[in-house]
Amino acid sequence: MGSRPGSSRRSRTTIVVVTAVVLAVAPLLVGWHWAKLGWRDKHYNYPPKPTGYAQIVSVFGQPCSADAHAVSMGWPAADNGATYTFGFHKKLGGYPTEMVSNKGGKSTNLDNDVYGHIQNDHLIGYTKSGIWGYACRYIKGGTSWSTHAFGIAVDISASYEPMGNCYSTVNKNFAFEFKNHGWRWGLDFCDPMHFQYAFGY
Amino acid sequence: MKRTVASGIGLVLGVLVALGLLAVAGHTAPQPYPYGTPIGPKMARDTGAGEMLVLVLGGVYSTRAEAEAANSQMSFGDVAGYYVVPVGQFQGFREEIGSPGDFALVSAFRTDQGAQEFAVFAQSIGYPATILSSRVRSLGGQYAGLGQEADPSGLGPLTGPTRASLP
Repeated sequence: MGSRPGSSRRSRTTIVVVTAVVLAVAPLLVGWHWAKLGWRDKHYNYPPKPTGYAQIVSVFGQPCSADAHAVSMGWPAADNGATYTFGFHKKLGGYPTEMVSNKGGKSTNLDNDVYGHIQNDHLIGYTKSGIWGYACRYIKGGTSWSTHAFGIAVDISASYEPMGNCYSTVNKNFAFEFKNHGWRWGLDFCDPMHFQYAFGY
Repeated sequence: MKRTVASGIGLVLGVLVALGLLAVAGHTAPQPYPYGTPIGPKMARDTGAGEMLVLVLGGVYSTRAEAEAANSQMSFGDVAGYYVVPVGQFQGFREEIGSPGDFALVSAFRTDQGAQEFAVFAQSIGYPATILSSRVRSLGGQYAGLGQEADPSGLGPLTGPTRASLP
């Protein structure tokens, strides 16, 4: 019961053709998918990642400044259907792209790139209620400025990821998108709802 | 033959060492919050004694214990939320709220804008936040969150009295 040489050649040809079609069509499908959503990853003009308070002030200016909440965006929560609108620093977004209108911002970091990736990777379903960004407030229990006061921190899924938990339930599914764009995830210090564009603080 | 045995032993030892290192790394749990004193400066606990302040009210309670318990249920993540204060430490406060209790959850501001921003922030998380209709006079006492608002210049935080807050 040996296979015929002609049949084997046809199988090889079929595999080659199918592989070639997949390789050619897959990027086109991905491109069409992104174009349909009006999104492109830009990575334009990211500010340097500050370490420690002095560098945060050097890069982003004083807490509670007008720049700290010059840009705003809406972020939908998958569980309650609400869209949370919050402000953040103009160096972390607000630059005009296919998806983001011109908000006077300097980069594409948060609203285009991080959010765009989460949306296009179909991870938005993991972002739950309790979402906020800029807040001119101290760190809880003290009088040192929070990274939220600089507009360089975002809390997501607060109702699912309480501060003090050293594990994550939902944010673990998209935290890598923040990390890939220069952010630090608060799970490092048992605050899994928290993401900040700063280290050593 | 000896070389094969030696290679086998080496391989097993290598795998065991690698597993040991992985186990050690796996048990390195993150530090619970607070994870250390922030390097940034500590601001003064400004009470604004004598100033006319705007209060955002989160609730009024009969006892301090009740107020503390209610406050502990209102999480603002890592940022400061409400402060528990006696109603009596602000002149005009009781006239504003009636007599439902002696302790309140508040955050104090010098500007209407600062109070408005905090109220919107608290409400967006789902917590009560009522801006008192009239300013009240601070008699000093416990810290009530003053200093956490933007200077109208837009350059940073407001750190001193304004024309509206001076009596």
